[in-house]
Amino acid sequence: MLIIGIVIIIIIIAGVAAYVLMMPAGPKLKETLIMGTTDSVERCLDPAAAYDFFGWEIIQSLGCGLVEYKAGATGASSDIVSSLATSWETSTDGKIWTFNLRQGVKYDDGTEFNATHVKYTFDRGIGIADEDGAFVGIGYNGIIENVTVADKYVVKFYLKIPFAAFLSLMACQASYIVDPTYAPETAIVEYNSSRTVRQNHPMGLGPYKLANWTRTAGKDSAIRLEANPNYWNAPGGYPKTKNIIITFYADSTGLALAMTTGDVDIAFRQLATTDVNTMKTNANLHVWEGTGAFIQYLVFQEKYAPFDVTSIRRAVGAAINRTTIVQTVFQGQAQKLYSMIPIGMFGYDDAFVVLGDPNYTLTRQLLNLSGYNETNKLSFKLWYETSGHYPQSPQQAQVLKSSLEASGVISVSLESRDWASYKQARDQEIMEAYIYGWYPDYIDPDDYIQPFLDSSGGSWLHHNYNNTDMDQLIAWARGNTTSTTRNDLYGQIQDLMVTDCPMVPLYQGAAYAVSNTNVQGIYLDITQSWRHWLLYATE
Amino acid sequence: MTLRSYVISRILLTIPMIFILLTMVFAIIRVLPGDPVLLHFEKVENPQAMEEMRRRLGLDKPIWAQYFDYVVGLFKGDLGKSMQDYSPVAEQIFSAFPATLELAIFAMIIAVFIGIISGVEASKAYNKPQDHIIRVFGIVTYAIPVFFLGMILQMVFAVQLHWLPVGGRTYPTMEPVGLVIRLSQPPWGFAVHFLLSSIPGLLTLATCLGITKARHRKFTRKIVFAFVVAFLFVWILWAFAGWHYMSIGELRIATGMYTADSILEANLVKFVQASRYMLLPSLTLGLVLSGVFLRLTRSNMFETLRLDFVTAARARGLQESTVTYGYALRNAFLPILTMMGLQFAALLGGAVLTETTFSWPGLGRYLVDRINFRDYTAIQGAIVVFGVFVSIVSLVVDLLYAYLDPRIRL
Repeated sequence: MLIIGIVIIIIIIAGVAAYVLMMPAGPKLKETLIMGTTDSVERCLDPAAAYDFFGWEIIQSLGCGLVEYKAGATGASSDIVSSLATSWETSTDGKIWTFNLRQGVKYDDGTEFNATHVKYTFDRGIGIADEDGAFVGIGYNGIIENVTVADKYVVKFYLKIPFAAFLSLMACQASYIVDPTYAPETAIVEYNSSRTVRQNHPMGLGPYKLANWTRTAGKDSAIRLEANPNYWNAPGGYPKTKNIIITFYADSTGLALAMTTGDVDIAFRQLATTDVNTMKTNANLHVWEGTGAFIQYLVFQEKYAPFDVTSIRRAVGAAINRTTIVQTVFQGQAQKLYSMIPIGMFGYDDAFVVLGDPNYTLTRQLLNLSGYNETNKLSFKLWYETSGHYPQSPQQAQVLKSSLEASGVISVSLESRDWASYKQARDQEIMEAYIYGWYPDYIDPDDYIQPFLDSSGGSWLHHNYNNTDMDQLIAWARGNTTSTTRNDLYGQIQDLMVTDCPMVPLYQGAAYAVSNTNVQGIYLDITQSWRHWLLYATE
Repeated sequence: MTLRSYVISRILLTIPMIFILLTMVFAIIRVLPGDPVLLHFEKVENPQAMEEMRRRLGLDKPIWAQYFDYVVGLFKGDLGKSMQDYSPVAEQIFSAFPATLELAIFAMIIAVFIGIISGVEASKAYNKPQDHIIRVFGIVTYAIPVFFLGMILQMVFAVQLHWLPVGGRTYPTMEPVGLVIRLSQPPWGFAVHFLLSSIPGLLTLATCLGITKARHRKFTRKIVFAFVVAFLFVWILWAFAGWHYMSIGELRIATGMYTADSILEANLVKFVQASRYMLLPSLTLGLVLSGVFLRLTRSNMFETLRLDFVTAARARGLQESTVTYGYALRNAFLPILTMMGLQFAALLGGAVLTETTFSWPGLGRYLVDRINFRDYTAIQGAIVVFGVFVSIVSLVVDLLYAYLDPRIRL
């Protein structure tokens, strides 16, 4: 009896299992694309407080700025196109910017967008001054004096300093226009699970509406975007895909597997080097490669020996072998970088090539000046982080150590800390040489120069580099609106940088996305913005 | 000692335990290098913003003041706000808890089922080939790293065979919402609410009466009667108040566990999807844990099967399966029960590796993320909650001991 019973149960279980396993993976969703990522919104979707990559990615699909970068941009001013502003002009001194706004654009409730909404957005952002946000991080308060409503559809920005990168600043997601109905003047719109989805974000006017946003355990678990019929460019057929579902994976392996099995149609951030290489060989997948804007560089602490001497810094800079970093660590998925301004951006200039890559003769020569040679090697600690904040830091450090020691006159010992302690060590200025990274807030060479080489702007890096000539050049470059003059000035800045050598650029990461072969509309350009509304799948 | 006083004393002992745990964690995380304020500034830091941030996170106060504030908050049931994203920590933990609970329950079922049955079979066939095979199986599953096993299963079932998904909790857009009852019509609404609110009430009533009946035979009728009347009064009041103040107009019963919720919603498609996504993570974790139960069961059963009463039972002509499972296993069960309790409590703390491999949003990942971010309030909150879970589970295990083995007097 027992055996018969067990057999029956096994048959039932087998039957149910077969039924379950034969079911299709899920309902066929019309006009929908599923995107997988390992990112998550860090805190909220309020542009006055959000300062993380993924938060900006979602804000960009829910809202609109005055201007935007067209897909495939290089950062030149000609790449900025109209969005909520149809035309703009600047005064001769560069301190007054006038924007003519698009008419007939409506919010969800039918209110027409006009200049008062622009003024409200910026007054609110500057007024709240949330420490976590871009308004404080980029320093909007130091740039914008006030915003005036000149006419119903005309808004004027009065700046404190002539700021050439102002348009780029208006194109970044922190400058996106909010909906006053959902954006209280003195408070940030935080995520709150007991409110409706619409109440959890202050955006509007963008290509998509937020249909669902749930967070579990402090990370996103589901986001769904639905086409916004009020989008100003809806008559142009945007967004191309009506629904986008974003699913979240814990690490790159999970994401890569999901992409391979077809659980997702698109995968973007963060895919490990090996996963990208594996997927390149898969005929069912298309790997998109594009310009990255993420750079890594080696910083020298100038407060005390040995790097208080310029020739020693230059000597170490000349001993770096970028080829090994790019080939060994990143398997070709990065580019050697000889400039603090990334490749693909206006103002790029490979100034550091003069130091060599590597040029051990120069290294030995310069170190001899300070009395270092084969028997008396220059010895210092090279620091790196171990929390995965930057890609493959331990391997980078190892490879750097080998290339520096191959000169014969340098001896390197490696030190590491997890990200939180690394930042603390940086502020305590106990690290002699450390590896650091950067990705831009707004697409302008100024964002890659001022935060490092300016004596006040670079103070956060705690490397104690001060050069008044450099400060002057930077001030001129950010104030001048003529591109040829600016290009010239950035060339001079980089040359001065190579002479002083406060830090050495190492490599620039490439951006990767993977999709099914029938997905189009992916643009990986210097802006690093993921434009959901351009994505579509052909049959 | 009576059952009631035993339970009460155990509950009271939990409080100092939690406090010692909290104090230790509080001190340790603040001694760790790494400043939560710094971690808010990815890039440039200006000193005023940092001071503001320090004030906002409450870190400008002296440590004893921070400790005092936190403890006072705990007494009010407030676990504080996360230092990373300012959300209430209690909400974050309890949003993750159903996912962890679901994984823990299914993993335990699989582990216990596979472990105990293989253990029993191995002990019966001592030193025969069957025994060796099962023992090797136990060692292999216990030694294999859980993420490695998870990845193998993913590669086989998800990538190669396309039968099961790679990760997540369910197919996007198919999250179950549980049982939703529209309460727009007054008499029906009130009736449903009254009935539903009766379930916890009746359970409490039954437990109280059960406990009192078992231990206090001299309970007077008057006291019982007064108790029941008071209870009914509170019950009606609560049901009415609840119905009256409900602003949404609908009642939603959801556990947060997708498999259970899809049953409550009576939606087969959602249930199937939730189960498909549940299968690999629980199988992985269950297999790895089964090794423990397997060896424990095997060694306990081996001893028990040599005892006289087993031979006597066989001599009486009982079937082998009755003797093994009904007699021997029951007697050997206590150490296994301890292990079940310990493992379940450990699982409630979250299984980080499994959750990362299968992108399962649970408490393990939560705690690891927050430690990396030095989110003091979230870490303290999570540890306090884990401490409470562990004490509840160990209390339940001890009570079950007393129930199962009449020789044990509490």
